[in-house]
Amino acid sequence: MSRRARTTKARPAGFTTVVVLRLYVAGGAPNSMLAIANLEAICAEHLKDGHKLEVVDVLQNPRRAMAEGVLVTPSLTKLSPQPVAQVVGNLSDKRRVLLALGLKPNVE
Amino acid sequence: MSNEGGPVSARAAPVSAVLRRALGQLPNGGPERQAVEAGEIDAVIDYGSARVIAFPAARRALRDAARRTDAARQEAKLDAPVANRVLATLPRAEYQQLLPGLEPVTLKFGEVIHEPGAPIRHVYFPIDCVVCLLATTEGQRAVETGLVGYEGVVGIALALGVAASPVRTQVHVAGTALRLPAARFEVELQRCPQLQRELLRYACVKMAQARQTVACLIAHVFEQRLACWLLMTCDRSKSREVLLTQAYLANILHVRRESVTLASGSLQARKLIRYSRGRIAILSHKGLEAASCSCYSSIEALQHLA
Repeated sequence: MSRRARTTKARPAGFTTVVVLRLYVAGGAPNSMLAIANLEAICAEHLKDGHKLEVVDVLQNPRRAMAEGVLVTPSLTKLSPQPVAQVVGNLSDKRRVLLALGLKPNVE
Repeated sequence: MSNEGGPVSARAAPVSAVLRRALGQLPNGGPERQAVEAGEIDAVIDYGSARVIAFPAARRALRDAARRTDAARQEAKLDAPVANRVLATLPRAEYQQLLPGLEPVTLKFGEVIHEPGAPIRHVYFPIDCVVCLLATTEGQRAVETGLVGYEGVVGIALALGVAASPVRTQVHVAGTALRLPAARFEVELQRCPQLQRELLRYACVKMAQARQTVACLIAHVFEQRLACWLLMTCDRSKSREVLLTQAYLANILHVRRESVTLASGSLQARKLIRYSRGRIAILSHKGLEAASCSCYSSIEALQHLA
């Protein structure tokens, strides 16, 4: 698995912007797998189908990660909408991920 | 997070010097350092060496995953039907032992595998290629004395204790074969009794076929011999078509080129084959069998010699 893109043309009503995300992982390493699972859960809950996620395996593609200034994996970058934001770690802190995505986390 | 510029200690200790150096490149007080402290990081990208340095836990997980994939691949390879008949007769345990040494190679048309008198470096188990056993006569002229395809082995002399090839072996239908280095083959021969039995049986079959070929050469007309030879070649390459020029055929069957033209023209007129620009296609296997001498069925029957 070097990269994986998921996109849908149909957007939910009232959702106008597609959030473009890129997740850098290190193959099937534990935190990377956890980050993918956490992110997929967050996207399913908060972004429904209005997002595009690309998973980049840095073990296959270290130069690409370097060109984009990635220091550690797992590392999530929100490319669109502006501003660009980054979250590092296994994304188990949902609140931090939602803030980076520009979504307001629900008060618990 | 206690660190001020120095290397960060990851939760999964111990940390190698390379990893420590890569961690030292992370900005102080940045989110990366916090994530490392929390044990949420798998790998650090070392910009100095352009390498991805994984943490020990991640490295272990990746190694285990790779091992699992390798084991699954090996299992799939074992379960795949063996396309060479000699290998297919081996019990699973013996084949499993042989498998790591077998290397798939693509053999090109005209490639000489063994020269007479030269040491045999590899033993070949053809999959879909056909190899010709040629006896050399005066000069560079070589005459076909046998064919080896997926049913046999090239380099059988090694199984009989002869290290040098007694014949020239040349590829005449390109394709794939599995090869085993001679040294490994000798070791495996001692270890695998079924392989030894099968190879001795095959050597006996080959000798009987060579005798039949000599008889055919003396007793039958060329057209019959050509039909027989085309059938044997197509059977071994598992195809209904071979790419061979008339000049090449005349050379290895030791006849004049005109004889090939006449015989193939006659077979073509009877709609048994189609011959154009070095491409021979068998149109009717049954018809060609009827046109060939009895040697075709005799030679094929010898293969099942037990």
